Amino acid sequence: MSDLLRSLDPGTPSDPRSYVERAEIDASLRGPVLLFFCSGIAWLLLGSLLGTLAAFKMSFPHLLDSADWLTFGRVRPAHLNIMIYGWASSVGIGVGIWLMARLCRVALRHRGLLMGAGVVWNLGVLIGTVGILAGQSRSIEWLEFPGWATPVLFLGYALIGVWGVIMFRFRRPGHVYVSQWYLLAAFLWFPWLYATANTLLIWQPVQGSVVGAVNWWYGHNVLGLWFTPIGLASAYYMIPKVIGRPIHSYYLSILGFWSLAFFYSWNGMHHLIGGPFPAWMISASVVASIMMFIPVLTVAINHHSTMRGHFHYLKWSPTLRFTVVGAMTYTLVSLQGSLMAIPSLNNLTHFTDYTIGHAHLGLYGFFTMTMFGAMYYIVPRLVGWEWPSATMIRWHFWLATSGIAIMVASLTLGGFLQGLELNDPEVLDFLSSVRVVAPFRFIRACSGILLSAAHLVFAVLFIRMLLRHGVRQVGPALFSAPEKPGDLPAV
Amino acid sequence: MTAGLVLLLLGLLLLSGSAFAAFCWAVGDGQLEHLERAPEVIFDAAEPIGEPGDCFPDARSRAAMAKAAERP
Amino acid sequence: MNRLPLLFVGILLVFSTSWIGLVAYPYLNLGHLAPGTSSDGLVPPPMTASAIAGEHVYAANGCIYCHSQQVRPAWLSTDIQKGLGPRQTVARDYIRQSPTFLGTMRSGPDLSNIALRQPLPGWHYQHLYEPDMVTAGSIMPSFRFLFRVQPVQGQPSLEAVTVRGPHAPPSGYEVVPTQDARDLVAYLLSLKHDYPLPEAPEPPKAKK
Repeated sequence: MSDLLRSLDPGTPSDPRSYVERAEIDASLRGPVLLFFCSGIAWLLLGSLLGTLAAFKMSFPHLLDSADWLTFGRVRPAHLNIMIYGWASSVGIGVGIWLMARLCRVALRHRGLLMGAGVVWNLGVLIGTVGILAGQSRSIEWLEFPGWATPVLFLGYALIGVWGVIMFRFRRPGHVYVSQWYLLAAFLWFPWLYATANTLLIWQPVQGSVVGAVNWWYGHNVLGLWFTPIGLASAYYMIPKVIGRPIHSYYLSILGFWSLAFFYSWNGMHHLIGGPFPAWMISASVVASIMMFIPVLTVAINHHSTMRGHFHYLKWSPTLRFTVVGAMTYTLVSLQGSLMAIPSLNNLTHFTDYTIGHAHLGLYGFFTMTMFGAMYYIVPRLVGWEWPSATMIRWHFWLATSGIAIMVASLTLGGFLQGLELNDPEVLDFLSSVRVVAPFRFIRACSGILLSAAHLVFAVLFIRMLLRHGVRQVGPALFSAPEKPGDLPAV
Repeated sequence: MTAGLVLLLLGLLLLSGSAFAAFCWAVGDGQLEHLERAPEVIFDAAEPIGEPGDCFPDARSRAAMAKAAERP
Repeated sequence: MNRLPLLFVGILLVFSTSWIGLVAYPYLNLGHLAPGTSSDGLVPPPMTASAIAGEHVYAANGCIYCHSQQVRPAWLSTDIQKGLGPRQTVARDYIRQSPTFLGTMRSGPDLSNIALRQPLPGWHYQHLYEPDMVTAGSIMPSFRFLFRVQPVQGQPSLEAVTVRGPHAPPSGYEVVPTQDARDLVAYLLSLKHDYPLPEAPEPPKAKK
C-alpha cells in the first residue's frame, strides 16, 4: 500500500527548467487526454447528427417515422445524453486533467489506469445510448440512461475523480491558483450529484413529485457545479496565459468562486415554478437564481478588466477567440437565466422553446466554445506539433459561432411567441402555439447543419494533428520543449 | 426511511463533520494570506508576463504576436 | 500555503445546505404522502395493471419531451382558464406515478386531464397511429410501430382501428393495437385529476 502511495508521488522534477518540466508533464498526459478528446469529438459528431435529425423531425413529423428506435421521443434524449456525457463531460475531463497537472506541476503516474477509466466511461455512454434507442429510457431528464448503464459511468468517473484529487494532493508547494479550486470542486461535486440523483431516482426511487425536485436539483447542478467550474477554470487560465497578463483581481476570483458554490446549488427548483411543490422551495430557488448576478458579474468584470487593451489579440489567437466568446456567453446566459426565474417572466417562457435556446446558449455558447478554445491550446502541446491549417480553424470558428447564434435567436424569438399563445386565455386552439413557432423551428433545424459542419471541420483538423500533418514551428509559436537541453526558445 | 436515504444521510454527516473539523484547523493555522502575488503563479521565466502564448499557424498571426510581445 | 482542507470543507458545507433543502426536506415532507378518501374510494384512485405497464411505454418513447403533466395554479397562470383541468395539480396527485412525468415542454398539450378531454379509447388509438388524422396540422410523430397490420380473419377485429389517409391498410387488412398500445392508452385514460383534494380547492369560475 505504501509502495502504491510512493509511486503516486512524482517527487521533485529532474530538470529545474520550467519549459522542460512542462514538456515532461505534457508527455505524461498525452495518452489519457487525447483519449478523452478523441472520444469526445466522436460523440460530438454523432450527437450533432442526432440533434439535427430531432430538429428536422419537429418540422417534418413524418421524417423517418416508421422505425421505433428513431422516434423523436428516443432520438431527442439520445442526443441530450450523448452531448452531456459523451461530448461535454469527456472533453471537460480531458481539459480538467491537463489543467490540474499543469497547475499542480505534477506528471501523471499510472496513466494506463486513467486510460482504462476513459474506456469504461465511454462504454457507459455507449450502452446507455443504445439503451435509450432500444426503448429503455427512464424519461428522467438528463438521467435517461437505463439503470444498468449508470454504474458503469459511475465506476469510470470514480477512477477519474480520484486522479484529480491525487494530483492536487501531490502538487508542488506554492500558491493554489483559482482554476485549481474550481477543478477540485467540480471533481468532488460531480460524484455526489450523480450518486444522489441515481440513488433517489433509479435505485431506490422516491415517491411522486419529489422526483421532480431531485431531478432538477441534479440537472441544474450538473450545469453549474460540474460544467461551469471546468469552463471557468479553463477561461481563468487561458485568457491570462494567451495575452501574457495575470488576472486583474484575485479577490474577485475568490468572491466569484464561493458565491457560485453557495447560490448555484439552490437554483434547481426554478425549472418547476407553478408545479406541485411548497411555495418556500420555489421562492428560495427564485431568490438564489437572482443572487447569481453576484458570481456572474464578478467573473465578467474580472475577465473584462484582464482583457482590456488586449482585445485586438482576438484577431490572431484561436484559443482566445473561442474562450472569450465562451466567457462572454457565460455572462449573457447566466443573466438571462436569472431573469427567466422571475415568476412573471417565467410564465411566458416556461414550457416553450425559449428554454431550449437558453440551454443551448449555456452548454454550447459557453461550455463547448470554451472547451474548443482550451483544445486549441492544449493539443499542440501534447503532440509537439502546430495545427496544420489556419483557414480550417477560422471555418470552424465562424460556422460554430453563426450556427449557435442563429439557433439561439430562432428558439428565443419563436419560444417567446409560442409562450404568448400558450398563455393567452382567449386562444382556445392549442395548435396556434405550434403554428406560430413552426418557421422558427425550421430555421433552428438548419442551424444544426451549420453546427454539424463546424464539428466536421474540427474533427478533420484533429485527425490531421494526430497524423502530424502540420509543420513543426520554431519561434514564438513553439509549443513544446526544445530537443536538446541547451536549446532555448527563440523568444 | 429507505436504505438509500439512510446511506445518504450518514454520508452527509460524516463528510460535513470531518469538513467542519478541517475548517476549524484551517482557521487556526492562518490560511487566508498572501493573495497579491497569487495570479502570477501561472507565469515563469520561459513563459513570462508580457509574452503572448498562442496564435493561428500562419505568417500574419505570428507577425502580429511577435509585435505584441515587443510592446511594453 | 495548504488550502486543501479549507477548500474541501467549504465545498462540502455549502453543497450540503442545498442537499438538505432540495433533496432531504422534500423527501421527508412529501415523500410519504398517503392517498385521501372520497365517496368513490381512494384518491387518487389506484391504477390498473395495464395503466402501470403503460407508464413504461410512455417513458420508453419519450412523451415527456413534448407533453407536460402539471396544471399550474390560477393566481400564477392561465392553465385552468384554458381548460387544462378543473384545479391545479398538487403533490398528492402524483403519488401513484413512478417516475412522475411532470415534463418541461408543451410542444404538445398538457396531459394531466387528457382522459377528461378525450375519454374514448378509439380516439387515442387513431391519434397514436396517425396524429394528423384526428388533429390536422399536428407535429406529433406517428406511433404506427405500436400497432400491427394483419389480414382480416372473417369478421373485422373488435379492436380494429379506423384509419384513413395515406397510411390506411390495403383492403382486406386491418390495424390492431399491440399490448404496448393498449397499455399506453389505458395509462392515458387514467390521467384525470377531477377528484377533490382538500389542499387543492377548485378556483371560483371567472365571470365573463
